[in-house]
Amino acid sequence: MIAAASRPPEQRGLARDGVRLLVATPDGCRHARFAELARFLSAGDLLVVNTSATVAAAVDGHRADGRPVTVHVSSSLPDGTWLIELRQSPATTGRVTDAAAGEQIALPAGVSLALVRRYPDADSDRMWVASAAAEGGFRGYLDRHGRPIRYSYVPQAWPLAAYQTVFARSPGSAEMPSAGRPFTDRLVTELAAGGVVIAPITLHAGVASLEAGEPPLPERFTVPTPTAELVNLTRSAGRRVIAVGTTVTRALESAADPGGTVRARRGWTDLVLGADHPARVVTGLITGWHDPEASHLALLEAVAGPNLVRGAYQAAEQAGYLWHEFGDSCLLLPDSPALAWPGLVPARYAMPVAAPAGLVPSHPLTAG
Amino acid sequence: MPIALITGASRGLGRAITHALADRGWTLIADARRAGDLTAALHGLAGVTAIPGDVTDPGHRARLAAAVAGHGRLDLLVNNASRLGPSPQPHLRDYPLAELARVYDTDVIAPLALIQLLAGPLTAAAGTIVNVSSDAAVEAYPGWGGYGSAKAALDQLTSVLGAEEQPLRCYAFDPGDMRTDMHQQAFPGEDISDRPEPETVVPALLRLLAGRPPSGRYRASDLAAPAGLAAPAVTP
Repeated sequence: MIAAASRPPEQRGLARDGVRLLVATPDGCRHARFAELARFLSAGDLLVVNTSATVAAAVDGHRADGRPVTVHVSSSLPDGTWLIELRQSPATTGRVTDAAAGEQIALPAGVSLALVRRYPDADSDRMWVASAAAEGGFRGYLDRHGRPIRYSYVPQAWPLAAYQTVFARSPGSAEMPSAGRPFTDRLVTELAAGGVVIAPITLHAGVASLEAGEPPLPERFTVPTPTAELVNLTRSAGRRVIAVGTTVTRALESAADPGGTVRARRGWTDLVLGADHPARVVTGLITGWHDPEASHLALLEAVAGPNLVRGAYQAAEQAGYLWHEFGDSCLLLPDSPALAWPGLVPARYAMPVAAPAGLVPSHPLTAG
Repeated sequence: MPIALITGASRGLGRAITHALADRGWTLIADARRAGDLTAALHGLAGVTAIPGDVTDPGHRARLAAAVAGHGRLDLLVNNASRLGPSPQPHLRDYPLAELARVYDTDVIAPLALIQLLAGPLTAAAGTIVNVSSDAAVEAYPGWGGYGSAKAALDQLTSVLGAEEQPLRCYAFDPGDMRTDMHQQAFPGEDISDRPEPETVVPALLRLLAGRPPSGRYRASDLAAPAGLAAPAVTP
């Protein structure tokens, strides 16, 4: 049975890197803690991380007829409009499907949002291109009046800090690029000392609440020149390029030419990875556990192949891994050389995980 | 028909532009600080919604934006409302800073605030922004350091907007000297009857709107009609 992580691991008595890590290779699956990540990587491996910071992208408002509504702001668009999703308020469990172009959504402090057109086409029923009227800009307005997007499996509100990764620098993600959440300063130091290279991209993640059959939303991204060069160097040396998250995968593959060479890129991407567009650059993936709906699975399989991904999901379900942004993690290594892993005894309890100073676990460490 | 929002419509150039566009069938939203003056200035015009208020008041700006939202469209924003500052105008070494801040509030901050509020419908209509400037923005006239530097800031703001907002036309429009109440304030007690009436500048503005040249700063005198030509019909 699949259980969602209903609160941050720090609230479950774990450090961020105390969540579970399933390592999936062609040789099989291993269970570990995220803090042990360095055991499964080699010097010269390149970890590419997303430096996008999460913004307060949810704001409550009222429909033209007075009904309450929650607006989830997915991203800005090149022409200054915004891609938004309308959800029922206050539960934010259901979508709003009966809005009409031209409708004005009244937001706090006198700001209004005009629904311009349905996205991506007239047949879609909940994503909208909207025009915001806010003095000082809508981004700054959201900083003052918004809150983090939260779905019903997280019953309690958590501060924006709970939705930031250790790599977060550039605000813009509607939802946390959560694959990076288990990283800690200590773990990054350990990786660096072990010769693992870390390079940044930025991709501002849109809302993730896609239904089966819906194409991924356009997202704004930057792949800087030094990162592109490191990726190409790593590949030419025959080492692994491991994306920390599907957002990083999308950014790197969007910046790759057909031959798999990555160029510095900046812009919006609508890339859809799948069987007909396999990953050309990324050879490993760290990801959280999310609903295995079509486009998410297609992306994972584009990197790791269907057998490895399905095997990993099966193993995670059997072992009771926790899902979603506060949940457990997975390392997919499709073409991993047979590693001489130390201690192949079940690693779940192998390394006690200390809480960082100042954070007192509310109860003893558990298996998650 | 096209829709425009004009600030400072009760007097001078703003009143002249409002009349000219209303006569050409535009739908207009117009404001001015004094309700009585605004009503009197717009008397007899069809298709004009008068919303009295001060452009430095965020609540008033929100009412202007709501009026635009009611029409669902905006083709032209004319930021004409301006504050000259104390009369006579003090030299900079004596300029009261609180007065300077009020000049900047009206002449720089409020126009940008309206642009921020109305960028959506303006972009959707590939519309035009006209920020009314002054030759005091580029010339160093003693006593004009407050108003002139504010208009210089507005010019540069317009210039950068032109680079940032590609579908829009963003103009700083310098009308030159006119026989207006504001000009009289700037020259208290002097005879300004040799200056042209603001109506004489309107054809230049209409040519700017009709021709849609690239974004930038335009002087009315640069937009003078070739001899024998009447003002063009303005439809975006």
